Amino acid sequence: MDLAALEKQLRTLQADAATRISAAASTAELDELGSSLLGKRGAITEILRGIGALPADDRPKIGVVANEVRAAIDASVTARRVALSAGELLERIERERVDATTPGPAPRIGSLHPIPETIAAIAEIMASFGFVVSEGQEIEDDVTNFQLLNIPEDHPSRDLWDTLYLQEPGRLLRTHTSPGQIRTMQAGGPPIRVILPGRCFRYEAVDASHGFEFHQVEGLLVDRGATLADLKGILDELAKGLFGSAARTRFRPGYYPFTEPSVAVDVSWPGSKDGWMTILGAGMVHPVVLENGGIDPETHQGFAFGLGVERIAMLRHGIPDLRAFLENDLRFLAGFR
Amino acid sequence: MKIPLSWLREFTDVQLTAEQLADALTLRGLEVRGVERWGANWNKMVVGELLEVAPHPKADRLQLTKVRIGDGPILNIVCGARNIAAGQRIPVALVGAEMPDGRRIERAEKMGIASEGMLCSGQELDATDDGDGILILDSSAPLGTPLVDYLGEDVIDVDVKPNRGDLLSILGLAREVGAITGAPVAYAARPLKEGADAVGAGLALRVADEALAPHVVLRVVDGVKVAASPDRVQMRLKAAGLRSISNVVDATNYIMLELGKPTHAFDRAKVGETVQIRLAKKGESLETLDHEVRSLDATDLVVADERAALALAGVMGGASSEVSTSTSSVIIESAIFAPTSVRRSAQRHSLRSEASHRFERGQERRLATLGADQVAALLTEWAGGVARAGRLVAGAEEVPVTTLNFRPSRVRALLGVALSDDEQVALLSSIGISADPAAVATKIAVTPKRSVSAEKGSARAVRVPSWRSDLEIEADLAEEVARLYGYERIPTSVPSADLPQHRPSPTLLRDRVRRLLADAGLHEVVTHALVSAAQAELWSEPASIVTGPLAASEGSAGGASIVLQNPLSADHDRLRQSLLPSLLDRVDANLRYGATSGAIFEVGRGYGSTKGAPSEWTRLAVAVWGDREQGAPSVGATAWNLDELKRLVAQVAHLVGERPAYGSSVESAVLHPGINAVITGDRIAGLLGELHPASPIWRDEPRILLAEVAIAGLRAGRVETAQISLPPATPPVTRDVALLIPAAATVGQVVAVARSAVSRATNVELFDLFAGTPLAPGERSAGLRFTFQPSATGADDEAIAAELTALEGAVLRACGARIRGVEGQ
Repeated sequence: MDLAALEKQLRTLQADAATRISAAASTAELDELGSSLLGKRGAITEILRGIGALPADDRPKIGVVANEVRAAIDASVTARRVALSAGELLERIERERVDATTPGPAPRIGSLHPIPETIAAIAEIMASFGFVVSEGQEIEDDVTNFQLLNIPEDHPSRDLWDTLYLQEPGRLLRTHTSPGQIRTMQAGGPPIRVILPGRCFRYEAVDASHGFEFHQVEGLLVDRGATLADLKGILDELAKGLFGSAARTRFRPGYYPFTEPSVAVDVSWPGSKDGWMTILGAGMVHPVVLENGGIDPETHQGFAFGLGVERIAMLRHGIPDLRAFLENDLRFLAGFR
Repeated sequence: MKIPLSWLREFTDVQLTAEQLADALTLRGLEVRGVERWGANWNKMVVGELLEVAPHPKADRLQLTKVRIGDGPILNIVCGARNIAAGQRIPVALVGAEMPDGRRIERAEKMGIASEGMLCSGQELDATDDGDGILILDSSAPLGTPLVDYLGEDVIDVDVKPNRGDLLSILGLAREVGAITGAPVAYAARPLKEGADAVGAGLALRVADEALAPHVVLRVVDGVKVAASPDRVQMRLKAAGLRSISNVVDATNYIMLELGKPTHAFDRAKVGETVQIRLAKKGESLETLDHEVRSLDATDLVVADERAALALAGVMGGASSEVSTSTSSVIIESAIFAPTSVRRSAQRHSLRSEASHRFERGQERRLATLGADQVAALLTEWAGGVARAGRLVAGAEEVPVTTLNFRPSRVRALLGVALSDDEQVALLSSIGISADPAAVATKIAVTPKRSVSAEKGSARAVRVPSWRSDLEIEADLAEEVARLYGYERIPTSVPSADLPQHRPSPTLLRDRVRRLLADAGLHEVVTHALVSAAQAELWSEPASIVTGPLAASEGSAGGASIVLQNPLSADHDRLRQSLLPSLLDRVDANLRYGATSGAIFEVGRGYGSTKGAPSEWTRLAVAVWGDREQGAPSVGATAWNLDELKRLVAQVAHLVGERPAYGSSVESAVLHPGINAVITGDRIAGLLGELHPASPIWRDEPRILLAEVAIAGLRAGRVETAQISLPPATPPVTRDVALLIPAAATVGQVVAVARSAVSRATNVELFDLFAGTPLAPGERSAGLRFTFQPSATGADDEAIAAELTALEGAVLRACGARIRGVEGQ
């Protein structure tokens, strides 16, 4: 085999390869063809086996030709692959096409009940003012639910709370979260900033705005210098937190035996329907209550407030009837996302 | 307390409209229930004048009238009343008017003669009780004026708080209004002309218990003609919300509203020689004015004569001495009774009256005399009576003026507002709390029982008016200062003082559990804690389910059901022990609403009593039924079943780092005896299963599944920070063990034994459960996959093999199970 014959073989291979490459119908066929030409045991390698018979001077020459041929074939394989894969991709796309506009399966819809969620919203707002949550007992005694809160036996102020009594003498279901004030003060001295949410009970006929089971959140702050002005500031923030930053508050005198002065708080916000809505009762903790909690009213003072969770939830969500909360109709609950 | 504004104006000048006044009162702490125009329902009714009254040609009982109503045409109206005459001004209901009772006035023919309207009686207007004659108006009544503009009345309804008994009177409210407007307030007592006969002739007064009746005043009015009250009185009482009875009773009610002083009128002829105020005797009874015969208790204070009880003091009079049309002489009793005594009697007899309401809230001492005199004056005016000379009196009238001291600096510190000492005193004086310059203020009442000494010159003294017995301590005056200054003028600030120590929220874990379940598609519910006896019997958790530290942190269930003494209804007469009955009740409701699938949960409390000591515990309860999630064309719907419920329990348990195990079923009225299990673990415990087929809400399709668990931290919220070790580079290895379980054993037992025997396994999972040929009946083959994490050296094969060998003996001993084979690398 001489140099010219080898070179001719390579050139023939190149021309033949170009024809076969351009005839390849798929990338798989092309891959096979590519390795049959260029691979370890491919056609070029086969041809170059004859290189050993050449004179030493000619060997580099045939190497140059072989590299040219190899590069040319490689370039045509690459070019052909680009052409083939674009078509194959299109084909794959068409083959795999589905109607992806079906609605999809329904989501798993769960919900959190508006009562605990409203409590959580209040707790979150108050947490930014350093108030921590504490939960008390629902079965109370007359002493803590009333007497220590400056509501003596046989006092007409008792008419403000219609009470559900247990058969056990002296025991009752708490009518408000306020006994938590006493228990908190007795459990540890000032400074106190605490939120006391929970279920309360009253002997009350059920209608759209009353129930015998309902929820309240009590707040209590006791330190050396808390003032009525501070009470206004905190409760104004609470109202804005619950009803939006455009909410306005109105503070007016109220009456609760366990606060002096006592405050009633009304709120009005852009979405409110009926002007001023009363949302909570509050006041400076009565000195008798501080004393009953083991705190000297000459050195410490503070304020307390209580709000009805159902009422807040009704106002925030536009719910007209409080009975919906205990009805738990799934269609109602599914609205709370 | 309803206040007709015309009455208020008798004591102070009011220029404000009813709405303006209502707003002003609200801002000064008097809660206004509503403002109404009494008479607003008199539409198409006007003041008319009778021009002619002539007999009806065909009917003796009817008269023909010609009525002028201003400039319009003269109306011909046929009328049946006899008390009319030409020249009188009368209320005319025009054609088209609707009467308060709903009747419509039409153009009508009455015995052949057209009638163009109706002349109205007081009763037809719902203004007085007189239905016999037409309501004759004053001759100055402006013709043609709508009746509501002439006779109508603005009425403000004020919700008086229990501490302000003084505001249960027109005069008391006038004082508050005067403080707002700055106009003077004055009460002009009606002068009383007494007759010659002395009050003491034939009548004596004896008070047995001065503590219960510290001041009693009697007057006697003779020559009384009992009849209806004047129309204007009847209308005023009606506007104030009271029914007119007779001139005598109305006189007592009128003074009760005007001064806040309840009094009682007895028929003199039905009372003996001595009026006694004493406690009831054992076995004594009294028929009260509502004609109920009441057995009296030895703590009931009564007004009596020498023979029998005549009235329940301060609460209600008796039938035997009731004023009637045959009464000609009355005894007026005007007394101060101890508030507690009146309240207890009213409560004991379930007899709340306008009088008892006022007595309970305390009475100004000077009102006993004033009230008796004013009622007597009205009886001379309205009933032609003659008051006997003098009064029968027991006890003292005079009460020393109360001086109260306060530190203006403390008021500033409490309110957070810079009001000078003088400004504070000036505000107080606007409601009659006047400065007492003579007194030296030293003792400060901090509470009713505790006083402190004020630094010299730092305190002021004020005189508290006799009607403000609610003002007892310094803080009471601070409230008055704030109220009169106006809460709206107090600045807002944010407290800057010490913050308490941080405490984690008790709801941390609870909120995580709630979110997890909501994300899993469950709806949170809040259900009644009060349930019926039948519901309470459905299930109460045995104390054996939740034990040890879990019981200590979450509360231990058990004990007796806690029953109410005064339930609203039998449906809610006791506290639940388990949440499941309340939850089931809601499943039932939702099934009725058409929810064929659903999933609900509640975190709530159970309640029980052990040896009289009540306890409360916290549990999570779950109820699921029907499809867990809806399907789609490519995926089928999945129904809730025991395994899906267990997956949920496992997810919740994972929050507290626990993998729950399951023990054998329990006896339960709520769960299917064959499809339930006890959930056991250190940090989670409870039970789950299918609803008992005997339950009234059970159905074959969909099945209802239930779970109730205690979780460590659900109540108090401890969330432990997990301790994490970095995993070694070696991959985990698994061993699959096939076990043959005899009929008598449960998978739960086998898994529990496997977990404790193969302690090196990081996870034990049941991947296969098989029954049937070739196994014997009842036998099952269980495939357990144990996952091990080899240490970095990887030289654990021997230890693993040793544990698996130990497993063989352990399951055989515990439940007769045998290992069929082990596979794995």
